[in-house]
Amino acid sequence: MQAQFSAPDADIASLKTEGYVPWLNAQFAAVPGQTGVAWLDSRGHNSITSEQRYFWPQFGDFMIWNQLLTGPDQLRKRVAFALSQFFVVSLSPIDGFYPPYVIGAYWDVLTANAFGNFRTLLEKLTLNAGMGFFLNTKGNLKEDANGRQPDENYAREVMQLFSIGLYELNADGTHRLDANNQPIETYGQSDITNLARVFTGYDWDYLSNGGNFTDVAWHDYDVPNTRFATNPMKFTAGNHSSLAVSFLGTNIPANTAGPEALRIALDALFNHANTGPFFARQMIQRLVTSNPSPEYVGRVAAAFANNGANVRGDLKAVWTAILTDDEARAMPVASDTLTGKLREPVVRFVQWARTAGVSSADGDYEIYDLSGSDSALGQSALRSPSVFNFYRPGYVPPNTGIATAGKQAPEFQLLNETTTAGYINFMQWVTRGGYNDFKPTYAALLPIAHDVPAVIAWLNLRLTANQLSADSLMVIQNLAAAFGVTTASTDSQKLDLLATVAWLMLCSPEYLVQK
Amino acid sequence: MSEPCKWTRRLVLQRGLQLGAMGVATPLAINLAAVGEAAAFDATDYKALVCIFMYGGNDYANTVVPYDPTNYALYHQIRAGTGGEAAAGIALARADLAATALAPSGGPVLTDNLQYALAPELIGLKSLFDTGKLAVQLNVGPLIKPTTLAQYNSTNKVTNPLPPKLFSHNDQQSVWQSNGSEGSTIGWGGRLGDIALSSNSGNALLTCISASGNAVFVAGRDALQYQISPGGAIRIRGIDPTQTNWAALRSALNALITRDSTHLFEKEYAVVTRRSIEFESVVNDALSGVNLSAPTNALFGTGNPLAAQMKIVARLIGARSALNLKRQVFFVSIGGFDNHNLLMQDHPKLMQRLNEAMSAFYAATAELGVANQVTTFTASDFGRTLSSNADGSDHGWGGHHFVMGGAVNGGRFYGTAPHVSIQTDDQVGQGRLLPSTSIDQFAATLARWFGCSVGELPGILPNVGNFPNTSLGFV
Repeated sequence: MQAQFSAPDADIASLKTEGYVPWLNAQFAAVPGQTGVAWLDSRGHNSITSEQRYFWPQFGDFMIWNQLLTGPDQLRKRVAFALSQFFVVSLSPIDGFYPPYVIGAYWDVLTANAFGNFRTLLEKLTLNAGMGFFLNTKGNLKEDANGRQPDENYAREVMQLFSIGLYELNADGTHRLDANNQPIETYGQSDITNLARVFTGYDWDYLSNGGNFTDVAWHDYDVPNTRFATNPMKFTAGNHSSLAVSFLGTNIPANTAGPEALRIALDALFNHANTGPFFARQMIQRLVTSNPSPEYVGRVAAAFANNGANVRGDLKAVWTAILTDDEARAMPVASDTLTGKLREPVVRFVQWARTAGVSSADGDYEIYDLSGSDSALGQSALRSPSVFNFYRPGYVPPNTGIATAGKQAPEFQLLNETTTAGYINFMQWVTRGGYNDFKPTYAALLPIAHDVPAVIAWLNLRLTANQLSADSLMVIQNLAAAFGVTTASTDSQKLDLLATVAWLMLCSPEYLVQK
Repeated sequence: MSEPCKWTRRLVLQRGLQLGAMGVATPLAINLAAVGEAAAFDATDYKALVCIFMYGGNDYANTVVPYDPTNYALYHQIRAGTGGEAAAGIALARADLAATALAPSGGPVLTDNLQYALAPELIGLKSLFDTGKLAVQLNVGPLIKPTTLAQYNSTNKVTNPLPPKLFSHNDQQSVWQSNGSEGSTIGWGGRLGDIALSSNSGNALLTCISASGNAVFVAGRDALQYQISPGGAIRIRGIDPTQTNWAALRSALNALITRDSTHLFEKEYAVVTRRSIEFESVVNDALSGVNLSAPTNALFGTGNPLAAQMKIVARLIGARSALNLKRQVFFVSIGGFDNHNLLMQDHPKLMQRLNEAMSAFYAATAELGVANQVTTFTASDFGRTLSSNADGSDHGWGGHHFVMGGAVNGGRFYGTAPHVSIQTDDQVGQGRLLPSTSIDQFAATLARWFGCSVGELPGILPNVGNFPNTSLGFV
């Protein structure tokens, strides 16, 4: 559950026989599934017609739901989804031509590099068209004599969010303190103003790798093809600041060529002592627990610093360290009242869908933005409201025992009186009826639907890792028995039962908290 | 953030009261008389404070715009890199500001004889300014103590402390709302709720309400944030007899989703669900008796999320008697203000939404007969730079904000106008304003109108004692 959205039988079996590390290695070696961009192409969403679908953003939602709901490469997608909450780009503000391709190409950078190196990923994202749009490196110009300044957005957020964070950290992710026992800030405004110069001179590249424009009758401008979304942004020396750059103790001399300045700057961020523990703690929070011990963070940060073969930033080593740590693998005990994390709504939805089995009659995957809080999930993949993600890693829910205990619970930032009700209502609807063309099949359960204990055991293992209490199981058992489903019942009657059992589990706090 | 005040007997009693209202066993034996005796104030009238948060950092210079020819020329030169009065760079055209030029009915002569116009879309706010229902607070932002440019630049941060993590979105959102950077759990709206809880003994949970997402502003030490959707409270269909016939199903769902647990995450999740269930009918029943007139409803427009939030706030205020509430603090928000790019395209749309929502909300409070009892103010992460980065502006510090309501001494400016400059000592570079009024002073003024005593201010705004004036006079 920590490593994937759902637990298919084959994975449960191979984990049992092979053990964790061989299973992870097999996942790392598996051939990636279809990319988001390839799927968009396969659906014809690159078409240039007078209908002007190239302006429609919703295919970006269809794309990511298709990516998350299908394909065997679950580990890759699960960690890519975690990365999408660290290196955030949101589809929501992206407009112009082919928003689905812009967000799709960003997602594909995450999946392609999820088992690669952090440094490579950081550079590819820095030059990614979607990131360029989202944080304004696209079209970023050097200073001029009239007082125009480089845009500081990417320079700020690449430090605050994508690499080193606000405060100096020890190797275990705890704050370093000064003589007055205060945290030490990593950078100031001057560091940002300087680093901003490095990110000037970039813009979307419409023409490389087969990029072209089509003259159309219905616009007085030409329509590009989708290559600008997948091409790295292009560098134009004339738009690049030639001023010297001094940030975080790194000095880039005046007139350094742009690509070389970028290399130096990203190396400095990658090699900063904060980057390992800063990244490690948040990835642990995304996958395993909201409150990892400093020792756990330290072990993962050590794997980031050195994968055992003197390579820094090997993400395979990071995932392995996170998922095989004793703190991740320990069975929950009743006396521990704070382990684990609240499952986020998107993960619940995807886990349910993959467990129940889904089909799409026409392959559209017509699932829209599910961010609405009163009648949807209250969260939608690649639809973060800002670069600060759906929730902050340090979020403390006010007026709770969690706050009293001095603990964090990021996902609780999405929880309130509206979203708890909206989620229950949405899942009631979707567990039985699906969503547009996308329908649950419950294929593995239909043949045993008459056997209520078997149905409950099957779903309890796969949805909750057998974390429902005996009392809760009894409540579900009694209700399920009252359906009176027999082998002779219709499929519709069986589906009523199966959907209800799944829904009740998905609404239970004992499920909602992944332990 | 240091603990601003101690856990008093009064607060303990309020805590017990509120837990009682939630249907959870109270840890203390209490009675209403004891609570009344200990209360900060037992309001008999009704007052509400509404915070409009503009997420992303509002561009102050295109919201309250230098308009007199001399200062407009400075603005245009900095924002467009050229002379002239046409729209260029990120400078608005001077002619487009004529209809929203402000003629104050009092107040000080402003720095450099500045005259301001509002953004062209803020035509409704201009009318409210003209009728004295809207005031403009100039250059307000977070400060620990009054700070000069030399003190800002000083390396001695013990003597010259600065707010944490200036220019950072998430931290400055938190600082505006709670005086502390990210991770703070108590906001000043919530602290106002704390001292008002005893006035709302009927439904204390409904003291602090967000119509946006979770926001620390409305979280108190005791007052909880109640969250409402623009459509009202959300009813869980599966436990609603009118939508789910089968009693056994309703009972099973209810048992599972409200189950207590020793695991704190499970326990707190269920607490929120129980609150949702318990207050859904209370809130919706009360709202069902509140209907704004068709013309007022129409003012809120369609497709404006801020207006939708403000409409449900207006309707909740309309339900104050049914809910037996005397003091409330509301939070609404609108995103999209981080205009690094396309400022001239995107910011006017945001101003249009702000104008529509605030104008409609004022009209609704007037229709409900509570215009004098509801005070609305704007807030934002930070102001932005005056200088341009080609087609947008960058993160700044101080900014200009609005205060609206029948009780507002409007039609004029408060505070000190900054020079239109990227050189002067009232900014820290590129026109990032060094605030001349602190959030603590701004908030204290609102708190005192709300009913808070001067002695209670330090418990709400820990740095307020560092500033000479806790009543700026705008309300």
